[in-house]
Amino acid sequence: MTPVVNPSLHREIAKFGGGDVSLCMNCGNCTASCSISPQLGADFPRRVIHLLQVGHEGKLARNVDPWLCYYCGDCSTSCPREANPSDTMMAARRYLTARYDWTGLSGLFYKYAWAQVGVLLLVGLSVVAAFALYHGPIVTSHVALNTFAPVEGVEFVDRIAAVILAGLLLSNAFRMAWSYLGGTAMLKIPAGVYLKQIPAFLGHYFTQKRWARCDSKISRTRWITHLLLFSGYVSMQVLVEVLLRWFQTDKVYPFYHPQRLWGYYAAATLLYTTVYFMVARWRKLEPMHRKSELSDWLFVGLIFFTALTGIIVHIFRLSGMPIATYDTYVIHLAIAAALFVVFVPFGKWSHLLYRPLALYLVSVKDAAAAKANA
Amino acid sequence: MSEPKEQHGQNEQQGQNEQNGERKIGVFICHCGGNISDYVDVETLRASIEKEPGVALARTTMFACSDASQQEMSEAIQKEGLDGIVIASCSPKLHLYTFRGMAERAGLNPYRYVQVNVREQCSWAHRDDMAKATDKGASLVRAGIAKAASSQSLENFRIETLPSVLVIGAGVAGMRAAVALADLGLAVHLVEKAGQTGGWTASMGPVYPQNRPGSALTDALLQEIRKRETITLYTGAEVIERSGSAGKFSVKVRLSSGETLTVAAGAVIVATGFDAYAPADGEFGYGLPGVITLPDFRRLLNESSGALKYNGRKVKTIAYIYCVGSRQAEDEAHAHCSRYCCTSTIQTALLVNERDSSVNQYHLYRDMRSYGKYELLYEEACRKGSVFVRWDPNEPPEIRNDRGRLMISAADLLDGGERMEIPADLVVLVTGMVPRSGDTLVDTLKLPVGKSGFLNEIHPKLRPVETVINGVFIAGAAQGPKTISESVASSLAAVTKSAALLIKGYVDLEPFVARVDASRCTGCKECLAACPYESLQLTNLGERQVVEVVPSLCKGGGACVPACPEGAIDLVGYSDHEITSMIDALAGEREVVHA
Repeated sequence: MTPVVNPSLHREIAKFGGGDVSLCMNCGNCTASCSISPQLGADFPRRVIHLLQVGHEGKLARNVDPWLCYYCGDCSTSCPREANPSDTMMAARRYLTARYDWTGLSGLFYKYAWAQVGVLLLVGLSVVAAFALYHGPIVTSHVALNTFAPVEGVEFVDRIAAVILAGLLLSNAFRMAWSYLGGTAMLKIPAGVYLKQIPAFLGHYFTQKRWARCDSKISRTRWITHLLLFSGYVSMQVLVEVLLRWFQTDKVYPFYHPQRLWGYYAAATLLYTTVYFMVARWRKLEPMHRKSELSDWLFVGLIFFTALTGIIVHIFRLSGMPIATYDTYVIHLAIAAALFVVFVPFGKWSHLLYRPLALYLVSVKDAAAAKANA
Repeated sequence: MSEPKEQHGQNEQQGQNEQNGERKIGVFICHCGGNISDYVDVETLRASIEKEPGVALARTTMFACSDASQQEMSEAIQKEGLDGIVIASCSPKLHLYTFRGMAERAGLNPYRYVQVNVREQCSWAHRDDMAKATDKGASLVRAGIAKAASSQSLENFRIETLPSVLVIGAGVAGMRAAVALADLGLAVHLVEKAGQTGGWTASMGPVYPQNRPGSALTDALLQEIRKRETITLYTGAEVIERSGSAGKFSVKVRLSSGETLTVAAGAVIVATGFDAYAPADGEFGYGLPGVITLPDFRRLLNESSGALKYNGRKVKTIAYIYCVGSRQAEDEAHAHCSRYCCTSTIQTALLVNERDSSVNQYHLYRDMRSYGKYELLYEEACRKGSVFVRWDPNEPPEIRNDRGRLMISAADLLDGGERMEIPADLVVLVTGMVPRSGDTLVDTLKLPVGKSGFLNEIHPKLRPVETVINGVFIAGAAQGPKTISESVASSLAAVTKSAALLIKGYVDLEPFVARVDASRCTGCKECLAACPYESLQLTNLGERQVVEVVPSLCKGGGACVPACPEGAIDLVGYSDHEITSMIDALAGEREVVHA
């Protein structure tokens, strides 16, 4: 079947932040200046941009190239038309995130600021309302957080939410794999091929090592900063999802206790890196920071405030201020919940899965092709 | 007009010498600063020819063209009473007129001067053998001496010219030419076949760069024309016959009333423009509802306002297919690029965008030729969301009707040549320029036509508006695809060339024309068929009909000379006698005196 193009796609992508795509004249300077294009093919990233211009919705859905780009900005610097190909690749990632999402909420959030802000507020206020209605006894003589918010209850709700959000995200990720591997053709690939590439997936997930291959000057610093953010984030995730009962205690352990040290590490790295990224975006330090969508600000901002409120809860607890501790705790959970509900399956958080998955799928496809040819 | 006549020498001495059968010829051999003397022994050469019959003096000179040398030669002519000179130097293309001028200043008829090319045709060609080069040089100079010995004083023809120009075609080129000619003081007859002036430009709608309607340009020109009493405009009129020659044409014009008028003009400017290529039925879907040509689409845009509609339906997506009827390698008549269409289409897309920015526009092009400042327009179109898709001539787009909508199947060169389908409401075929069809003017004026069918100039770079017919100039897109600005530029060039011909009131033509010996002519007309310039005609001589030459039309081509079975035709300056004596001199065995 010859693909039928969508003549309005270039207008659509503009709503995802890719407004300069029309300026591209397909000269290929972006490909020539890209430090990872030699590994990715002579049409990276030019082809994605051309597909967006022409309106190839179907071909884009089957293309994972945007996830292989690390936004170093070399292409935008060398673009003679100032068409900002790196911004377009970013817009393509947002577009694809919206495309993978079968609920349609992602596209709604990206395209309409009011929808995104509205749902964030709704989730946050719901948490506040839930606590207003269902909190435990308020002890004022000393800080008793687990009495105000019993850890078992919080953990229960936490895990229910995690299952729902993960389900949404994984179903979207499956759609990505389905499109890329060619629908039912995906089923013909031997299971061994899938299994054999899993270590590659984990390697990319934990190290983002592919990023280090971008030989742009700023890439290495950014890769390290991002890795720091990633480690802080994963720490927090493990502490609140897996080890919540160990982490949320009313007993104050000595300073050197692993519970406190790990918590401090998570808070410190999250605060440092999010401030760093916010300053970078504000000052437009690097090409990737020149153009910030509302969703970019919200994502980094909400992580920052989650970490900040978390550490304030801790300070109030140490200072023996029960009411302040409980109030801040509610705000902390409200922010975190809003962050996760909006950004895990529908927003920027999803790149934690999509990027390593894209690399994994590419290796799977290549390995399957190699096997078929052998 | 004066007949070519032999003019007897400006000084008595010359006349006397000739009556005595003696000539006093001066030979000057140029070193050319070594260009000649490094390979030809000029002293030996001089010694070899100084004893030739008729040679009064033979000298060498370092640079014949220098002021000092010219002064010396000039003095020698006067002092020695020379009646002919030979200068052995470079190609006549370089200095023929220099030395003719020198001769004239010295009081010698310029046609008694002969230039012998011993540089390009001798020294430069034979750098390896000086002795033989010198022998050859001597032979060439002897031939030159022979020619000089039979040379006669000749006079240019002076043809009086009419201070008026016939301009054919009142499009932007013709109208602009008319105004400029009138301002130079020349009367203008502006003949337009259509019922109104303005041509294509008037129908174009807003044009780049000011985005003023083309009709505003042509209306302004029409006003200027009306202000000038010396311009006579004939609309609905057609040129049906031409006679006469440069400076004095007589042209018959059939007016809209059916009457015929004879116009006398010194020059003719042909500015008849072009036709838009008409696609064949089925060519890129032509004939399907919604498939229209660029000129039709421009008209649609101009004649409507508000939301863009076609057949009552709102247009959401337009696809332009470029190079329709242009650059078709297999078809000589359509092999050319039409120059204007890329820019015009981009500008059209911008007009559409201005009117309704929600319209999606695909440009299916082969090569984007928005040259020069038009590139800015291309960038602007990109900025406004026009999408450019490149196709390969071996795999052109196909257009079909798909449930009431148009569907274009195109192989996208920038996507690995993969095919895609574009749904569109309107397909605009970007048709190029083709020569005017069914035009009898080419035959009437005997205009030269190139392979593509457009009118041909003499030289594309150096003589871009002149034709092989003296006094007939071409302007605008009649010559080949041009934009409005290019058309106007070429029309003003044609104005300048017309003015150069007419403004003095006369032209001088060289006297090298054919001459018929009426006593030997039998009126067989063989020569009439041989002449490409129609410069021979029959005339009554008593009871007989003989051929006579129209000197103003004769180019001295000489095709008539061998065509005459009676040997009754000769070419002034190149008579049988002159040529034979040169050949004798060249072939004659003579000893070279080596100094």
